[in-house]
Amino acid sequence: MRWMFATVFLIPSFAFAADPEFLLVIRDHRFEPQELSIPAGRKIRLLIDNQDSTAEEFESHALNREKVVPARSRVPVFIGPLAPGRYPFFGEFHEKTAQGAIVAR
Amino acid sequence: MNRSSVLPVVLLVCLVLAGPLNAAPSDYVFLPSVSYGERELDFKMGTARDAGEPRQSAGSLGFGYGATQRWFTEIYSKYERLQGEGLRFDASEWENKFQLTEAGEYPVDLGFIVELERPQDRSEGYEMRFGPLFQTEFGRLQLNLNLLVERHFQAAGPAVSEFGYQWQAKYRWQPRLEYGLQGFGEVAKWNHWGSADTQTHRVGPAVFGKVAMGDRQAIRYNAAWLFAVSEGAPAHTFRIQVEYEF
Repeated sequence: MRWMFATVFLIPSFAFAADPEFLLVIRDHRFEPQELSIPAGRKIRLLIDNQDSTAEEFESHALNREKVVPARSRVPVFIGPLAPGRYPFFGEFHEKTAQGAIVAR
Repeated sequence: MNRSSVLPVVLLVCLVLAGPLNAAPSDYVFLPSVSYGERELDFKMGTARDAGEPRQSAGSLGFGYGATQRWFTEIYSKYERLQGEGLRFDASEWENKFQLTEAGEYPVDLGFIVELERPQDRSEGYEMRFGPLFQTEFGRLQLNLNLLVERHFQAAGPAVSEFGYQWQAKYRWQPRLEYGLQGFGEVAKWNHWGSADTQTHRVGPAVFGKVAMGDRQAIRYNAAWLFAVSEGAPAHTFRIQVEYEF
C-alpha cells in the first residue's frame, strides 16, 4: 500500500514553472472581458473574480471546466495548453447574460 | 407537480422495475472533481446475468451535496433484487469525495474517495472502500483511473482488504452526448490476487452526457454495457447512473 500513498501525496508536490495569469471579472452577471486572448500552446491560470452578490458557475464544455465562484470571491481555473481557436464559456447560473470566450492565438 | 418533484418518483419506479445486478452492479466511475454548493439526487442501477445463473440487479438512490470547494458528501440507500424475488433493502452508505488538486493544475488531477457502508445483513459488519482518483485529458479525450481498496470490519468472516479498479476513456463530443469505454474489476486480496476464475474484469462501451434544464438544474447521465473479460465476471452487465443537479 506504500506505493499508493506515495502516489497520492507526491504528485501534487511536483514543481512546475509558474503559469501566466489572466483575470476574468464577473460583474452584473456578465464576464469582463467577454473575449479573452491567451497564448496557444501554454497552460494558463485564469483567475475569476466574482464581484456580484450571488454565486456563479464558470462552465465550458470546450475547455472541460466547471467551477463554482462564490459571491465576492476569487477562484483559479487552469486551462490549456490549447490549440489555436475559440473556446466559448458561460455562467451556468445566469446563462442569458454571462457569456464569453477564450481565444487562443 | 413540477419537473424537480417528478424526477425522484420516476427514479424510484425505475429502481423497483429494474431487472436483476452482480458484484456491485450499481458501481460507477468516481470522478475527482467537486462542485461546490451543488445538490444532487443520484440514481444508480445495474443488472447482470451469467449463463445458467439467475439475473441479479442492484440500485441505489442518494442525496449529495458539495459542502466545500474540495469536499462532496453523499448518503445512499442501496437495494438489490435477485431474479424471481422482490426488491429488498441492502445497505446504507456514506460517500465522501475529496478534490486534492484543481482541474488542469498538474498533468494528472487527483482526488480521494472514502465510502462507509452499513449492510442490512449484520453478519457482513461494515464495509469501507477508499482510494485515489486520477484524471487527465488530451484534447477532447478524458481518461480516468481509480484504484480502490475495500475492507470489511466487524464481520462474521475474516477481515481482508480487497483491491479493485475502475477506468474510463471518454471522448467529449457534445455536452449532451459523449462516448467511450468503461472498465471495472476486482482481484480479491490487494496483495495476493485471486485465481483468474475468481477475478471479475468487465469492459464495454459507454455513453455520457449532461442536459441543462435552466435555473441551475441539470440532468447528468452515464451508462455502459459491460462484457466479461475474465471467468469470474458475469457475461453481461448493464449499468446506468442518472443525477439530477439543482
